Amino acid sequence: MTAATLDHATLQQAAHWFARLSDEPVAHGVHEAWCQWHAQSERNRLAWCYVERVSQRFAPLQGDAAGAAQTLEHLRHTRRSRRQVLRSLSIVLGGAMLGWAGWRQRWLPDALTTDYHTGTAVLGAQRLADGTQVWLNSGTALDVDYSATQRTVRLYAGEVLINTGRDPRPFSVETAQGHLQPLGTRFSVRERGERTELSVFEGQVKATAGVGGDTRVVAAGQALAFDAQRLFATEPARLERQAWAQGVLLANDTRLADFIAELATYRHGHLGVDPRVADLRVMGTYPLHDTDQVLSMLEHVLPVRLEHTLPWWVTVVPR
Amino acid sequence: MASPLEPVSTPCNVSDLYIAHHGWIRQWLSKKLGNTSDAAELAHDVFVRLLVQPRTFTNDSHARAYLSAMSRHVCVDFWRRKQVERAWAEVLSQRPEQHSPSEEHRALVLEALQQLQAMLDRLPGKVAQAFCLAQLEGLNYRQIGERLGVSERTVTKYMAQAMLQCLLLEVELEGALL
Repeated sequence: MTAATLDHATLQQAAHWFARLSDEPVAHGVHEAWCQWHAQSERNRLAWCYVERVSQRFAPLQGDAAGAAQTLEHLRHTRRSRRQVLRSLSIVLGGAMLGWAGWRQRWLPDALTTDYHTGTAVLGAQRLADGTQVWLNSGTALDVDYSATQRTVRLYAGEVLINTGRDPRPFSVETAQGHLQPLGTRFSVRERGERTELSVFEGQVKATAGVGGDTRVVAAGQALAFDAQRLFATEPARLERQAWAQGVLLANDTRLADFIAELATYRHGHLGVDPRVADLRVMGTYPLHDTDQVLSMLEHVLPVRLEHTLPWWVTVVPR
Repeated sequence: MASPLEPVSTPCNVSDLYIAHHGWIRQWLSKKLGNTSDAAELAHDVFVRLLVQPRTFTNDSHARAYLSAMSRHVCVDFWRRKQVERAWAEVLSQRPEQHSPSEEHRALVLEALQQLQAMLDRLPGKVAQAFCLAQLEGLNYRQIGERLGVSERTVTKYMAQAMLQCLLLEVELEGALL
């Protein structure tokens, strides 16, 4: 049964019981009568769950009830002016609803079922129970599943740099395209829709495409992309694939269009490149925490300028 | 295939809506708040809300009307929260240093206060007062009745009214999330 099946009358009853049970001392026979009501139906019990949930919301106030009361008293005095503010905005009822909703929304990321995840423009670093360090790039979601015999990280989206800790249990990373088994190393895994990209910086990693498909051992300094069917050719690893963990965007003779596409994953809004400058080459290290600064740095080193169509819509065009 | 006479219903693709509307929402909020970083955050909230509660709009002006109402809501909500935060900060500032709670505790209390205030704003003055006196000051109904000049029976009625309001908010939101 869900909230949808709760009717107004049942909620009214629950509120009524709450009111009768909140007085001190509780009147004779009220508690027994409430028990009967509570036992009567599933619907009544559900309504009572909501009463309990509401009470829990206010629980933190119990510890400092005096301060809370004083604060509300303060607010009552400013209520008049607040009413005026509201009127000037021609607000309709629902503002309070939003305050409530806002509180719930802050917990939304938990609704994503992954253990660790980052939003746009957010980098995260975690040390797992076995000492393994993981750095999550912008927009990354992964699960960590450690059992008595296995250590498994499942990457669903984004990119992760892993420095494995010493532990007798085998460690592996799984993506939609296959399976990676590092041998005491530092490596990064990037999920790009149809493909997984592996870059190894220390030690070795054994990559397997699909389930029991092609297998290849990738050594330090090498990179490999694969999809669910096959492994592609081994290439030199690019330092960019670990630089982000230090908050640095590294460009080493990188096409401007590729550089901008990467930068765009660290920003909200649109970031585009005019095809006329897409093939210009970018060199250097750029701070990831301030993408506006990166863009203005580009204006200095390349014959380009930024066109702000709207504050959040930026295009790199020829100067 | 849809008949051409049927109203065209724009699928609620949040990223399309974002591209089409995020700009003016952010500008509007910036102007109201006089602060671009709060505006950016609130503009983001508007779209988070759309993700939580997907909607279908019949056309662009329908979407625009809804989003501007939402923007006003987040704006008012933001002011409310700020007001609670200022009042709470003032209360804390009047206390001796050693009595000031930890950062974490403060954040918890502030959050609960903001919710409580959001709910109280929907209630008639005496109902709100009765609820606070019972919940925060731990007074019984006889004491509250004396304080407010009403009967104990009326206090019980007030308490039920306040709780019903909380329940409606809670259930309404749940419905929105389903």
